[in-house]
Amino acid sequence: MIGLAPPDYDPAALRTATTLPVGTPATVRAYVGELLRRHRRAFVILIAVNTVAVVASMAGPWLLGSLVEKAADGARDLHLERTAALFAGALVVQAFFVRLVRLRGAMLGERMLADLREDFLVRSVGLPPGVLERAGTGDLLSRITTDVDRLANAMREAVPQLTIGVFWIVLLLGGLTVSAPQLAPAVLVAVPLLVAGCRWYFKRAPSAYRSEAAGYAAVAAVLAESVDAGRTVESHRLGGRRVALSDRRIKEWTAWERYTLYLRSVLFPVINLTHATVLTSVLMIGGVFVLQGWIGIGQLTTGALIAQMMVDPVNLILRWYDELQVAQVSLARLVGVREIEPEAGDDRVRPDGRDVRADEVHFGYREGVDVLHRVTMDVPPGTRLALVGPSGAGKSTLGRLLAGIYAPRTGHVTLGAAELSRMPAERVREHVALVNQEHHVFVGSLRDNLLLARSSAKDAELWAALGAVDADGWARALEDGLDAEVGSGGLALSPAQAQQIALARLVLADPHTLVLDEATSLLDPRAARHLERSLSRVLDGRTVVAIAHRLHTAHDADVIAVVENGRISELGSHDELVAAAGAYAALWRSWHG
Amino acid sequence: MQIRDLPYVDPGLPDVRSGPRFLLWLGRRQRGGQLRALSWGLLHFVSVMVLPYGVGRAVQAVVDRSGSSLALAGAMLAVAAVCIALGDTMLHRTAVTNWITAAARVQQLLIRKTSELGSLLTRRVAAGEVVAVSTGDVEKIGWFVEAVSRFLAAALTLVVVCVGLVIYQPALGVVVAVGVPLLALGVLPLLPRATELADVQREKAGRATELASDTVAGLRVLRGIGGEELFLKRYRRASQEVRTAAVRSARMWSAITAVQVLLPGLLLISVVWYGLGLVADGRIAVGELVTVYSAVMVLSYPLRHFEEIAMAYSFSRPSARRAARVLSLERIAATKTTGAGDGTLTGDLYDPATGLLAPAGALTAVVCGDPDAAGRLAERLGGHPAEPEGLPSALLGGVALDEQPLEAARTAVLVQDKDPVLLSGTLAELLDVPASGSVAADRALAAAESGDVLDALAQASLDNDPMAAPITERGRSLSGGQRQRLALARSLVTDPEVLVLDEPTSAVDSHTEARIADGLRNLRSGRTTVVFTSSPLLLDRAEQVVLVHEGKVAAVGVHRQLLSSEPRYRAVVTRETDAEQQLVGAQRGAPEAVFTKADTDDIEETA
Repeated sequence: MIGLAPPDYDPAALRTATTLPVGTPATVRAYVGELLRRHRRAFVILIAVNTVAVVASMAGPWLLGSLVEKAADGARDLHLERTAALFAGALVVQAFFVRLVRLRGAMLGERMLADLREDFLVRSVGLPPGVLERAGTGDLLSRITTDVDRLANAMREAVPQLTIGVFWIVLLLGGLTVSAPQLAPAVLVAVPLLVAGCRWYFKRAPSAYRSEAAGYAAVAAVLAESVDAGRTVESHRLGGRRVALSDRRIKEWTAWERYTLYLRSVLFPVINLTHATVLTSVLMIGGVFVLQGWIGIGQLTTGALIAQMMVDPVNLILRWYDELQVAQVSLARLVGVREIEPEAGDDRVRPDGRDVRADEVHFGYREGVDVLHRVTMDVPPGTRLALVGPSGAGKSTLGRLLAGIYAPRTGHVTLGAAELSRMPAERVREHVALVNQEHHVFVGSLRDNLLLARSSAKDAELWAALGAVDADGWARALEDGLDAEVGSGGLALSPAQAQQIALARLVLADPHTLVLDEATSLLDPRAARHLERSLSRVLDGRTVVAIAHRLHTAHDADVIAVVENGRISELGSHDELVAAAGAYAALWRSWHG
Repeated sequence: MQIRDLPYVDPGLPDVRSGPRFLLWLGRRQRGGQLRALSWGLLHFVSVMVLPYGVGRAVQAVVDRSGSSLALAGAMLAVAAVCIALGDTMLHRTAVTNWITAAARVQQLLIRKTSELGSLLTRRVAAGEVVAVSTGDVEKIGWFVEAVSRFLAAALTLVVVCVGLVIYQPALGVVVAVGVPLLALGVLPLLPRATELADVQREKAGRATELASDTVAGLRVLRGIGGEELFLKRYRRASQEVRTAAVRSARMWSAITAVQVLLPGLLLISVVWYGLGLVADGRIAVGELVTVYSAVMVLSYPLRHFEEIAMAYSFSRPSARRAARVLSLERIAATKTTGAGDGTLTGDLYDPATGLLAPAGALTAVVCGDPDAAGRLAERLGGHPAEPEGLPSALLGGVALDEQPLEAARTAVLVQDKDPVLLSGTLAELLDVPASGSVAADRALAAAESGDVLDALAQASLDNDPMAAPITERGRSLSGGQRQRLALARSLVTDPEVLVLDEPTSAVDSHTEARIADGLRNLRSGRTTVVFTSSPLLLDRAEQVVLVHEGKVAAVGVHRQLLSSEPRYRAVVTRETDAEQQLVGAQRGAPEAVFTKADTDDIEETA
């Protein structure tokens, strides 16, 4: 076998910076330690039942050994019945405990896995809104799906199986030492070969398997995307390119398969030869010892059979050690989320009044690059403020500052004279809500989708909220009413209905200030018209900051702020701005003719 | 076929009449590989079975106090060890190669079928179904196809061993030969129930993953408005259900493990019981007894393959059935294609069903009150609609597009639907589409006003080059408006004879939309363009505006003229309904808007 270098292209390499942190080895270790402590009892039980099972499994070789000893001595009375009874007893004990080992291992693994995935979600839902806005949910999503999946095998099988394997080997060696102490060193002959082979292999294998898995996922991803984008693929005549891309991904993936196959082509003979060496050296060395009269023939038989039994635990350890190595990376990614400091906020900061102010605000996403410059504005309670301006001018950023999602770099954003960024997120949202294009309908009942805004709400209140946004018509027509399953996989709701649900949540949550970011922009004009009517009812009496896409939104606002290059360039009512004949006026003329 | 030669130049024409036929077809394609795996497997398993013989010989040599016999047994063990190592490694290599080539072949078949069907695929089967074939089913199919040769090698070995034992030591051999089939079949009755429980567990795990990813996908909503506890509680419940199902499944599997210990153990006891009697009677030697005992211990290894093949088949059968179903889908042409597709399609675009006429070389805007009808009309304009409504084909220069070959129709007319999908890759890859070649990427991007998108992408890329910046699946890392502009730039790069755009700027702000309207008109000057929109900014820049009402052309003109002369047009474009017109018109004739003011005196002028 000629050596093979790893392929040049690594599908597991990151193309972009990860948006969320990855755990350091220290945090991962600390977490694993915590996990082990939490499940100490289960580990102890597993080890105990495993010990009984392994000891019972050695009864066979031991009994046979003593029988061989007697038979070789020419003894006529072999106590066959007693031996068979002992043998059968040990077998029943062994079968019963092997079953327990497998079951206890699975119970332990499942419990740890459940802990892990629940811990992760608990951490995720506690993330500061600012982190989520900035990082997006894509990275988090891939962690909860791909990484949890990869860890599932490690937790469910690798950890318990490795525990079993290690103790198994130790017990077999112990059994060998007890029944034929002189033979124990014979086992060690094979150790250098095994250690050298494993070191070579495990230095290369984990990252190679990671790349291989990523390469395979990339093949599936090309297909999934092509299916999803069927219409685009057809209209742009991209079919041929998708096929070519998939074939290229297959080439990249199989190159890694070939490499890992090469790694195993080295490991497999090492393991096979190790087993054979152990068996042969026990027999040969032991044989010489018997011929010399140092040990009995029964001891040799027992020793050889025990040596033969070592195949299973060694294979077990090698098989799952791999998995554990691969899982480490996933674990680091999951644990990394724990490193994000939850913004505790200062519980003593309470707003006094509903006045929203921005004072000399500077803000940037990156060091040294400000997106907003010296923004100062005052939004009295009940005002309707429209932010207009070209894409990328900073409208949405300003909206997020006013909603308390980001903290200004310098300057202050206050609600009722209290600084928004110093309040806990849970306090902020009692007062201010940000509504964007994202009208997520959660998988679950319609009731759950509304209850999240006010968990104590009665059904009558939910219906009232739906009524307030004109949604009670279709909602009452649902066969299961509030119990109807919606969201992906359930009843498909139109974008307009999804938006009505989002608005009904607002009615229930009842914040006095709303920041609307392109809230209706993804809807077709007809649906938007209906919704805007519902929306106007929801907005009644509240302070509203609307990031306006459509000029008619701006037209009816009390105040319009034109945002250009991170600054407020024009500020005033519609009529004032039209009279001022600036950028807004020019646009308005083009829109309205 | 070697792994390094993948992918296949041509994955072939599969037999998709049923799942088992598909499996058979896959197996036949790699007959050579199967034969190689079988041969190496035989070498491996047979050599493994030689070990007990060596052990017995060694013990007998010691009993006989013969040093040379002991050395001979040692040499025999050494040779067996080399054969085992060689056989195992080569069996693994050939079997894995069979697995990989089968998996690659199925993946290649899937992507080819997907490309062939295009928009049709997801109308016939759920998208999830196709993706499930690619992500889960391929592995199971590959597993079964690969396991067949290993199983055959193991089964043949068992036959050889039983026959060998009967010859070597007839009395004991018969006991083993009777016992082995029982061992092989012993756990099979338990397997269906166990795989069933494993399926339940997988299903529950899938549900929990779905809940978790759904919660994370809507996390911004949760953090913005509350309800985290509600959703955590729900996820914990699902997660614990997975755990319970997994433990229930483990109970079954652990029972199987116990049977796997118990049955060979019983055979061992019988062998020892019966064998010792023979030893005591002096009919067999001690070494022979040890050989048989050791052989029964080792037998569990090839025996495991019986269980594996049963599992592989029960897992792969539904997978193969699903794969066969997806691969058997065909594109059935609604009408016969008569055109040869050699002539260049050009001229006025005309839709007989509505009477819509888009003159060659002009920018036509279409206003349609019903967005669904607009979408269907746009699709029909390109020919070969996915779901024909029985309406006459659109004509391009008098030629019926439906009767042209699909490729020719799509080349002549590009229809960008309401929700164009951005495919992942770099920006350069996104814009690298089949095109006329006369519109460069930078011109298209400029016309689509993508300057700020480029800035954002440059920040995300490793070397500040926006063209090398990655775009994630569906462009999820971008805002709705940014996505729309990149999709528009892609369509502009294509530079088709006729470009049909359905609401191309619905998520773009007014400032930018106005500039896009100018850019679009300049870039497409002299080319036929049809835009479905209700935005005054776009309508104002069209050379001709057509109002389609209830499936028929109701008015043709230019924006300002229609605005004053056609109330139905005004209703759609300014978003007024008749009732609102009366209501609001009394106030100040302003368009209906987000802020419907009941009382205009409430306005506070703050600055």
